[in-house]
Amino acid sequence: MRILVIEDDRATADYIAKGLREAGHGVDVARDGKDGLFLALSESFDVIITDRMLPGVDGLSILRALRAAGNATPVLVLTALAEVEERVAGLDAGADDYLAKPFAFSELRARIDALTRRPAGAAAEATLLRVGALEMDLLRRIVKRDGAPIELLPTEWRLLEYMMRHAGQVLTRTMLLEHVWDFNFDPTTNVVEVHVSRLRRKLGETPEGQPLIETVRGAGYALGRRG
Amino acid sequence: MRLPRSLALRVTLLVAAIVLLASALGFGMAYFGAVRLLQHQLDDDIREQAATLTDEFRLFGVEGLRAAIEARALHAGPEGFSMRLSEPGREASFAGRSFEAPEDLRGATDLVQPGGRALRAHGVALPDGVVLVVVADLQDLRAAARGLAGLLAASGVVTAAIIVVAGLVLARGLEGRLARISAAAGAVMDGDLAQRLPLAGRGDELDRLAQTINHMLSRIEALMATLRQVTNDVAHDLRGPLSRLRQRLEGALAEPRAAAADQAVLEAALEELDGVLATFAALLRIAQVEAGTRRAAFAALDLSALVAAVVEVYAPVAEEAGASLTARVVPGVRMQGDAALLRQMLANLIENALAHGGAGVRIGVSLMAGPVLEVRDDGPGVPAAERARVMGRFYRMDRSRATPGAGLGLALVAAVAGLHECAVVLGDAEPGLRVRVAPREH
Repeated sequence: MRILVIEDDRATADYIAKGLREAGHGVDVARDGKDGLFLALSESFDVIITDRMLPGVDGLSILRALRAAGNATPVLVLTALAEVEERVAGLDAGADDYLAKPFAFSELRARIDALTRRPAGAAAEATLLRVGALEMDLLRRIVKRDGAPIELLPTEWRLLEYMMRHAGQVLTRTMLLEHVWDFNFDPTTNVVEVHVSRLRRKLGETPEGQPLIETVRGAGYALGRRG
Repeated sequence: MRLPRSLALRVTLLVAAIVLLASALGFGMAYFGAVRLLQHQLDDDIREQAATLTDEFRLFGVEGLRAAIEARALHAGPEGFSMRLSEPGREASFAGRSFEAPEDLRGATDLVQPGGRALRAHGVALPDGVVLVVVADLQDLRAAARGLAGLLAASGVVTAAIIVVAGLVLARGLEGRLARISAAAGAVMDGDLAQRLPLAGRGDELDRLAQTINHMLSRIEALMATLRQVTNDVAHDLRGPLSRLRQRLEGALAEPRAAAADQAVLEAALEELDGVLATFAALLRIAQVEAGTRRAAFAALDLSALVAAVVEVYAPVAEEAGASLTARVVPGVRMQGDAALLRQMLANLIENALAHGGAGVRIGVSLMAGPVLEVRDDGPGVPAAERARVMGRFYRMDRSRATPGAGLGLALVAAVAGLHECAVVLGDAEPGLRVRVAPREH
C-alpha cells in the first residue's frame, strides 16, 4: 500500500515510516501541513496518517480540505490530545480513526489494516454476517456455528459482531475497548482478556484444535485468519 | 482639539457642553421674548398717544390737533414721546424733541436719526393730507435689553462654573475608585492571586463589574491551584518510576551485551514507561475534568442503562478474579452528563473494589433515583481517619502499596462527581467500604 505520513516531529515520522516500510508499504513523508495537503491532493494514497497539530495548516484543516475536494482516502489522525471532544472534533472533520500519542506500533498497524479493509457500504448494512463456519443473523439475533446455535450474552454479542465485521484483521485491546464497550480509557483490570476468553470458549475450536479467536502476540486478537 | 484621556473628565466636559448649549438656547429665547414684549408694549403706548391725538382731530379738526400738540410742547413733551404734525402748505409743528421722519410714514417702524438716536415711530394719515407721527425713544428699551442680557450671561457663566466644578469633583471620585481597582488588578498581575478588587458597597455598575471580575479571579485562583497541585503531583510521583527506569537502563548498559538479557531489560523498561504514560494520561484527564470545560459536552443520558452496561462488562471480570459483582439498578434514572466520564467513574470504583477488597470480595452496585450511586464491598474498608486523604491524587494506604495503580482512581472519581455537581462520600459498609456518589446538598 502507499501511505502518506504528515508529521512535523522528525523522530515520530521516522519511527512510523520505518515501521511501515518494514511491513512492506510505500511511505511518503511530509513535514508540514502545506506539503502534506499538496501531496494528498496531487497524488493517490491508500491511507493518510496526519498529526493533529502541525505548523502551517493543522491536521483537521487538511482533513476538511481533502473532504471538500471530494477525496475519500481513509485518514487516521494522530494526536497528543486524547480527550473525547478532540476525538469527536476529528471524526466530525472527516477522520476515519483517531489515535492518541504515544502509541504502540502494533496499534497503528492494526488500525491501518482496519481502515483499508473496511467492509464496503453495502456490507456494513448487511443483516447476515458470515466468517468461516460462523453465521450471525443480525435481525433474528441468532449466532450459529456449523448450523448449531450459540447462546451469547449482550456484551459477548457486541464483541463477536465487531470481530466478524473486521474478520481477518488484528484488533487491538484499545480498539475493542473503544468500539465494543465505548471505554475511552485504559482499565487496570483484564476486561478485554476476560471477555475474549469467554467468547472463545463458547465459539469452540477449529478442526485442528485451535481456538477460532486467535491471539496475536504483542498486538491483539483476530478472527477468521484460520479455518 | 483632543479630548482628555480621562473618561470621567470627558463625560463631565460633554455634560457641561450640553447643559451650556441648552441654557444658552433657553436664555436666548427668554431674552428675545422679553425684548419683543417690551417692544409691543412701547408700540401700544405710541399707538395710544396717536389715538388720543386722532380723537382731538376728529372732534376739533386740524386746529384742535395743532393746539393739543402745542400744549404738549409747552409741557416739555409727554413722558418720552415726541410728535410731529405735518399739514400741506404749513411748517410742521413738533412736541418734544424734534426728529426727522419721511412724510409718507404710515404704521409702526424703526427710525434712526442722523445723530444715531434710535426711535420707534408710528405714522397716521389724517384727511386733507394731514400726517401725524408719534415717536418714542428706544434708548430705555435697549438699556433694559442690555441689562437683561447681562443678567442672563452672568447666570450662564455661574451655571457653567458649577457644572464644571461638580463634574471635576465627581470625576475625581470616579477616577479614585478606578485607580484603586486598577491597583488591585496590578497586584493580581504581579502574582498576588489572592488579591480582590475593592467594592465601594454601593452596588452600582462599578461594584457589579468588580464583583464579576472577583468571581473570575477566584476561578483563576482555583485553576492555578489545581495546576500547581498537578505539577507537584507529577514531580513527586513520576520521579519514582522514572528513576527506577534510569537505574535499570544504566545497570544494563554496564553489563556486557547479551541478547536475552537485553531483551528482558528493554521489555521491563517499556512496561515501566507505559506505567508512567498511563499515570500522565490519568493526571491530564483529572486536571481537565476539574477545569470544568467538559461541562459544555453534557447531554441527557440514561444513567440506569449506563450503570447496567458497565456492571455487565465487569461481572465476568469479577467472577474470573474469584470475586462477585451484583447490581440493583432502578430503571429510568436520567441525568445530564458526560457518558464517557461517568462510565470511567463507575469502572474506577469497581476496579478499586476489586483491587483493594481482597480475595473473594463481594461488590454491590446500586443506583437509585436522585441519582444516588453506591458501590460497596465487604473488603477491609478504609479507616475513617484516612477517608479524606484517599480521595486525593497519588494517595495510597500503606497496605495497598503492593497493588498496581498509581493511586489516581478515586481522585478521578471525585473530579467526575464534582463536574456533575455531585459529592463522593466514603462510608463504612460494615464490613468494607461504601462509596456513595450523590448530588451535593445546597
